[in-house]
Amino acid sequence: MTDMLAPSVPAKPARRRWSLPWYVTASLFWVGLMLITAVFADLLMPHSFTALDLKYRLVAPFQSLAHPLGTDELGRDVLSRLIVSIRISLLIAFGATLISAVLGTTLGFLAAHFRGIVEQIVLVLADFQAAMPFLILALSVLAFFGNSLPLLVGLMGLYGWERYARIARGLAIAASAQGYATAVSQLGAKPGRVYLRHILPNIASTLIVSMTLVFPEVILLESGLSFLGLGVQPPMTSLGNMVGYGREYITRAPWIMLTPSVVIVLTTLAISLLGDWLRDRLDPTIR
Amino acid sequence: MIRYIASRLLRAALTIALVVTFAFIVLRLSGDPATIILGPEAPPEAIEAFRHNWGLDRPVLVQYFDYFRAILRGDLGISMRDGRSAIELVGERIPATLALTIPALFLQLAIGIPAGVYAALHQGTAFDRTVMVSAVFGFAIPSFVLALALVLVFSVKLGWLPSGGRDSWMHAILPILTLGLGGAAALARFTRSAMLEVLGRPFIRTASAKGLPWAAVVRGHALPNAAIPTVTLVGFLVGSLIAGAVVVESVFSWPGVGRLLVVAVSNRDLAVVQCLLLLVAASMVTSNLIVDFLYGVLDPRLRQGARAGA
Repeated sequence: MTDMLAPSVPAKPARRRWSLPWYVTASLFWVGLMLITAVFADLLMPHSFTALDLKYRLVAPFQSLAHPLGTDELGRDVLSRLIVSIRISLLIAFGATLISAVLGTTLGFLAAHFRGIVEQIVLVLADFQAAMPFLILALSVLAFFGNSLPLLVGLMGLYGWERYARIARGLAIAASAQGYATAVSQLGAKPGRVYLRHILPNIASTLIVSMTLVFPEVILLESGLSFLGLGVQPPMTSLGNMVGYGREYITRAPWIMLTPSVVIVLTTLAISLLGDWLRDRLDPTIR
Repeated sequence: MIRYIASRLLRAALTIALVVTFAFIVLRLSGDPATIILGPEAPPEAIEAFRHNWGLDRPVLVQYFDYFRAILRGDLGISMRDGRSAIELVGERIPATLALTIPALFLQLAIGIPAGVYAALHQGTAFDRTVMVSAVFGFAIPSFVLALALVLVFSVKLGWLPSGGRDSWMHAILPILTLGLGGAAALARFTRSAMLEVLGRPFIRTASAKGLPWAAVVRGHALPNAAIPTVTLVGFLVGSLIAGAVVVESVFSWPGVGRLLVVAVSNRDLAVVQCLLLLVAASMVTSNLIVDFLYGVLDPRLRQGARAGA
């Protein structure tokens, strides 16, 4: 991994590579593995994730070559289900993080640009969002809108927007006091251009760090909802979903819930370690 | 100080009003409860009668104001499933939830604050590193995974503790541990960084330089100043305890409000979900008010009212 990040100087730089702490290298490796799994899920699955194999129910891991991670109560291959679950969970988390970043940044810019009443409304909404536990809000919305994958992604996309909004607003207000933003508007640029082409690139690193910090929280949130049976619905599966159904077999077949649990923990751990590390390197001002 | 309190109270009222509006918008307009409850094949007369009984056939704005007025009167509707008032259903579950969340909060404070302070005072030691590592893990492990891991070890393998139900105090141990441990890790990490920041300030150096013993510097100067940012976290802890209770009560089949919420959500029981949403909002607002007042107590700058609302 480190070789890819090294500057391509052909000299003797064996030791002059970026020295990453070991846990960052490990996290990058794990996140990379998860991304590859998610992208190539169809190729990597040994079985269809819904295929029943009633002769081989509750096979323990490492017992059979056909089912390296064992099977569940219906004889479905745990490894295949795990691979699909990783794809779904990451897809939801990616979609949600993007939506929330775009929404939050837009609202933050609007607040910074118009000030006055618009700013007050954005700030009150942000306070409200921060004050209520999101799980409770999400549960009430899901119950009454029914449940579908796009809705779930959209709902998760409301998670954490207030952090981007606060950051974007603060930084945009600070930026418009600086020379460059004034200069571009004096040259006749419309506000949209000033914010998107000039201010956004200048605050992008801070926003990216926030995205890395919000991302694992979205994974945790989605897996919690799915665990309760109120997130991703069968026949679709996600990591939390697998834990939720596997829990019934905790005495007889603990591997059904243990494998997805380990993946959830390692993934959130890896991404939040990366986020902390990025924050310390790129932007020590935010917490 | 009066202006400070007034602005906080106003904000609290505003939050509650926003929650009521949110509940109304989401819970009433997202779908037609009549068809959800009675099923799509119900005869049209039955649906009409149902809509009329619940006031669903009137203009939305009228429904909204009626709804607001009803809530101010303390009338939160009747559970569509079992016909009892929602407040009653929710109310009888509250003690069970408090029996988990209050001990869990004390557990968090009892572990998190001393661990964070000690880690900050002994920065770089093995203890400090252990605190930081467990804080990172405490964040990455979702409560349902922690709960199931505890069940696997203490109920399935060792057989020491029951894995669900509410028959004795033994049944409360695993849920309280699950709720307490995650928050303790977060609190320890936060306390540590608050403490480190205060320890780096010039007044600490001054206090040691004038010959004060280190223990007195810590007790008299570092701890009170580090307490101010740490108090903010209490609001966050209450929120995460509520969200945690939803998951933990479901895992341990504990008959509290969290489990009621999950059941009400899957049954689409409007009145009960509304009532729970308001209960959560009220507890959040109350805990935030307590935090604000604690600020006033801890921070003399606020008490003198020099600049309110900082």
